[in-house]
Amino acid sequence: MIDATLFTAEVVPLSIVDAFVEFLHPSELVGVLVDGLSKAAIYAMIAGGLTLIFGLMGVLNFAHGSLTMVGAYLGGAIMVLSVSSATGPMTRLAFFFVGIVVVFGALSAVGGALEISLIRRLYDRPPIAQILLTFGLTLIIDELMRIVLEFYDLQPRADWIAAWGTKPWFLSQRLSIGPVDVRGLALFEILMGVLTVGAIWAFLTRTRYGLFIRAGSEDSEMASALGIDVRRVFTVVFAMGTGVAGVAGMLLMWDTLWGASVPLGAETLLPAFVVVIIGGLGTFRGTVVAALLVGMVDAVMTWWFVNEIRFTGLPELTIFLILVIVLIVRPQGLYGVEGVGGH
Amino acid sequence: MYHVATTSQFGLVFESFLPQVQTMTPILYFGLFAMSFDFISGYTGYLSFGHAVFYGTGAYLVIVIANGKIPLLAAGTPFMISVVLAAVLAALIAVAIGLVSFRLTGVYFAMITLGFAQVFYVFIRGWDWVATAPRDGPSVSFGTHPEGFRIGIPYVDGASYAIGRLYGSGLEGFLGLFDLSTTVVSFYMIGLVVLVCYLAMQRIIHSPFGRVMIAIRENEERARAIGYNTFYYKLGAFAISGAFAGVAGALFAGYRRSVTPENTFYFLTTGDALLSSIIGGLGTLAGPLYGRLFEQGLDEFLSKGSEGGGLLPMLQEYLSRSILETNALGLTIEEMIDAFINGRASLYVGIVFVLFVLFVPNGLLGSLRERVGGPIAKLPGRLFGGEKP
Repeated sequence: MIDATLFTAEVVPLSIVDAFVEFLHPSELVGVLVDGLSKAAIYAMIAGGLTLIFGLMGVLNFAHGSLTMVGAYLGGAIMVLSVSSATGPMTRLAFFFVGIVVVFGALSAVGGALEISLIRRLYDRPPIAQILLTFGLTLIIDELMRIVLEFYDLQPRADWIAAWGTKPWFLSQRLSIGPVDVRGLALFEILMGVLTVGAIWAFLTRTRYGLFIRAGSEDSEMASALGIDVRRVFTVVFAMGTGVAGVAGMLLMWDTLWGASVPLGAETLLPAFVVVIIGGLGTFRGTVVAALLVGMVDAVMTWWFVNEIRFTGLPELTIFLILVIVLIVRPQGLYGVEGVGGH
Repeated sequence: MYHVATTSQFGLVFESFLPQVQTMTPILYFGLFAMSFDFISGYTGYLSFGHAVFYGTGAYLVIVIANGKIPLLAAGTPFMISVVLAAVLAALIAVAIGLVSFRLTGVYFAMITLGFAQVFYVFIRGWDWVATAPRDGPSVSFGTHPEGFRIGIPYVDGASYAIGRLYGSGLEGFLGLFDLSTTVVSFYMIGLVVLVCYLAMQRIIHSPFGRVMIAIRENEERARAIGYNTFYYKLGAFAISGAFAGVAGALFAGYRRSVTPENTFYFLTTGDALLSSIIGGLGTLAGPLYGRLFEQGLDEFLSKGSEGGGLLPMLQEYLSRSILETNALGLTIEEMIDAFINGRASLYVGIVFVLFVLFVPNGLLGSLRERVGGPIAKLPGRLFGGEKP
């Protein structure tokens, strides 16, 4: 981290004009666009699972970030164990996709088990109880992860460098496309984000089970009266949501901006909450739009403040400023329905 | 009491289970913060997830004043005045945040307060006016405050005692009877402030204002229908709660003399208050203090055995060598204790917390009250005085 200060920034009018001209330069603009899209993809992946769980069950899952962190470590472990220095880039990529399937399966199982054993008991209690329960779960998951890390002598606080090393070379390079060059990993993240969002969307709108989920989310009483086993739908959605969180984590373990570490849980949870809230609790479309909005604003601000004003804390600040502003202007979020989530 | 317990025959057991005076002081000021969190979240039902802002404001203000950075306030401003200013500033910020946030309810309210708190957190972490290294947070220099901060009546030294983890006054021959060490003096002086704050909050909750707060929690629409402007009541409660959180932060800063963004403004600080409130009982004012005591006691009990107390020294004393060195699953029992128990308090606090949410929704004090059938303090009266419950 660059040690930045807020009020020592020297901004003279001319440099702002210069910066603006520089910003509008196509190569910079495309670079910022790709950065923003890659951030949006990651936010959408993490928040996607969260919004499914909230939309259907009204559970704001605080453990989501920790489960993402578990996914990052699990994915990292799979990669580190299976990849050696001699492994070619395509084989590495293949291992990565195998890893994604394993991580999705493992975390879905964990999520399903959590829903059945713990969260199910709380549906008839006020929603605050579910927030509290999942908050307690984060403590347990994080501490268990620390025990495991200490046991295997992986540094619990620093990012996990061995996992970064398993990246195929073309993802750690900057790739030039025409006049601009972009981070290879950013393109990969965008691809993964589009695939994930597309998969969830297809599942929700094109499959019979997705229909059950949407029905249960609209009116769970009516849905169960029509013969849908809403309880099981809850379990499946919770399992899916945590599975997607794990997949997002697996992607983050390659990203040098994030990396696998225990605090990753809190680091991903907060932006994910912001995205979900801005989108309007429980609407998948809103979440995707909000992820795009937050990702782009974040990327623009990062470029602007790192390149010109040199206050690196500001992108972080903007995420929460967007949250506050959106909630002031539109209390129910972009696509939220007034009254929903008012508990 | 504490002295008797630790020097008795079962001294080691007591020493292992009872928290030490050094940890009791943090329990007091953090307990006050948890109480202020409970004041808004437990009594009006609005989960204030950004409550750390007020705690942090109080803490930072005390340090900034002590470093002479505020115009018109000298570095030597009496601590009690800083505390009052901290309360006022925290209340003002609470009003500002509340004006916007109380348009929302439920999860949205929790999230917007969290959002504000994170804005403050990131801001204070990058603001080099408060400290040369804002990420590490400011501290009070030796030059401006050679002794500890004094709690008591400002400008009357005889009625003030200095507090501090490293500094502070000790008392020799107190009332001609005891010698009190600096930590014990800090404990009582901070305890005094916390007690006053507790009584004040208690008073507010039992006033008509407090009744309206509870009415809002139970059914806000009905409270509005009766004719209360619930918005102003919520805002008022939020400001009061913020003020006491500011006092708690000020006490924390006064005792520790240094603060970091992480232990003041970060959202996990609010999370800690939440843990204490749930374990102690949300909606019982004293509950959070007991919750904190429980949590901190557990933490100390499971911490590395270096500072007296703790599970490991006790086990080492009572278990024979052969048991400790028994091999199980490739680890000796001692190593297993070290891996899974020592310093792992947050794991067990988490488990306890989840169990409380599931099985003891009213918390320690709430459940006790349910059993007894009313506040504990009224029990003797009911048992012996024939007062009707």
